[in-house]
Amino acid sequence: MMLHLRRTSLLRGWSGVCRCQTGNQPSRNSSSSSTSSLFVAPDSSSAGLVLHSQSTNVYQNLALEDWIDANVDLQQRSILLLWRNRPAVVIGRHQNPWTECNLPAMRRMGIPLARRRSGGGTVFHDLGNLNLTFFTSKKAYDRQRNLKVVTEALRRVRPGLDVQATDRFDILLNGHYKISGTASRLSRKSSYHHCTLLHSADRSALSTVLRPSCPGIHSNATPSVPSPVANLLDHAPTLQWEELLDGLVNQYNAEFGFSSALTLVNPTDESVFPGLSRMETELRSWDWTFGKTPKFSVQTLLDLTDGRSSARSSAQLHMEVKNGLIESCELDVPADWLPRRLSGELVNMLVGERFCPHGAAAAVALLLRSESGELQTRLHHLCDAVLSVMG
Amino acid sequence: MAMRTALWCLSANFSPRLPLLSSAAQVSATRLLWRTGSPRTLSTTSVLSTALKFTDKHEWVRVEGGIGTVGISNYAQEALGDVVYCGLPEVGQSLEQMEEFGALESVKAASELYSPLTGEVTEINTELAENPGLVNKACYAEGWLIKMTIEKPEELDSLMDQAAYDKFLKSLEE
Repeated sequence: MMLHLRRTSLLRGWSGVCRCQTGNQPSRNSSSSSTSSLFVAPDSSSAGLVLHSQSTNVYQNLALEDWIDANVDLQQRSILLLWRNRPAVVIGRHQNPWTECNLPAMRRMGIPLARRRSGGGTVFHDLGNLNLTFFTSKKAYDRQRNLKVVTEALRRVRPGLDVQATDRFDILLNGHYKISGTASRLSRKSSYHHCTLLHSADRSALSTVLRPSCPGIHSNATPSVPSPVANLLDHAPTLQWEELLDGLVNQYNAEFGFSSALTLVNPTDESVFPGLSRMETELRSWDWTFGKTPKFSVQTLLDLTDGRSSARSSAQLHMEVKNGLIESCELDVPADWLPRRLSGELVNMLVGERFCPHGAAAAVALLLRSESGELQTRLHHLCDAVLSVMG
Repeated sequence: MAMRTALWCLSANFSPRLPLLSSAAQVSATRLLWRTGSPRTLSTTSVLSTALKFTDKHEWVRVEGGIGTVGISNYAQEALGDVVYCGLPEVGQSLEQMEEFGALESVKAASELYSPLTGEVTEINTELAENPGLVNKACYAEGWLIKMTIEKPEELDSLMDQAAYDKFLKSLEE
């Protein structure tokens, strides 16, 4: 039964390095036997595939997952995809980035934000974290079995290592350090379950970014459950990547009765993955990353005290944000600090703008230019306070 | 006016067992419905109400007054586990049959929702924002997801009725 590929035949050239299983694979295209075997009719020995992404770009790798989910027939075959990203924060499908991560810190550190399509909580990715995605049909969806691949692999390479999957589908080291979290997605006919595995991640960066951006947010978005984490390398200091990856591939094959070797894939190769870059563009977009945030409200007190006067002043701010845009805004500023006309104008400028310091700053700059002297200083102060709430 | 009212009554009662009309009369009644008036008006009047219809993705749709209410079946809510969040579309959004219109996040996974029909979203169940568990507790009643217009009533014919859906579920278990 030919593997159904909607867009193109993958029997064309293969630009990346490919360590595919050759030998007794029936070859559909004699000109490139090793590459064609990748998606050829699966017999029992090739019903599983292990792929390793050459990309370390979080958007490309998330798009690769989407591409496989949409284009590969997973009824007859399963895939394990291994991937790592340069530093990034990844939030779940229905989460609120302003409550889950520290957006100003991420901007300073050059760490991008991505929203994945699966559910679950927020994670920090860097090259010390391995991501594993198990693709199967919906029928074969079994998260505990997939996690068993990970825990068994770890026990085999380091006997005596205390690793255990919980009923929340975390993997704990020594009973309380989280080294892996899980999320998944069910689509038309297929499913994928992905999990992280902390090998040697930067824990200081992790704890800096996984903090709220601003206080005062009320939302019913799915919250993360924070846990203390640990790196495998700290508890198994000689466990290098090569040994870990080999162990995982072997255990995947053993658990499911496959015999596939690790195959490198390049998600930027449009001849192999046509349409992937379009999926990547969507994942990078503001509308997906921020605009998909469930409706939320912000209620906070802005401190307007400036260094010069001894009088303390504060303003009450209330905003409703929908699809990442400021749907409504109430700003209660003492009239003796700033004329209501000006705070009213600020409110009008903000409604309809993105809940984002950059988006709103442009609108606000216009307003500031129209004032001068003490009023302008105070207005500027107020604007800064409002913008800082937006992360 | 009276004629139209009569036609409306006929369509509301049109079911395989219509005791007062012979089968020949039933057929000609349908033909009448489709011929008079503008096609658009007729397409909504001819589907004033239906019993539950199901998709093979385990969504159901129930038509009342030309508006379809959409939800997920008991099989689906059981398979999903406890729903923790409902990601629903905007009112006014146009949907094609089979198009993804949202997702339900449960302890099990984020599962896509597929539109059973082509139409426009008229209402979303705002109760689900505070109480997503309604989808599990009352999937055919208070746990409804969206309401939509029915642009192509013939799509309803491609959906399964209760008996066909029950049979479909049995086949899945094999």
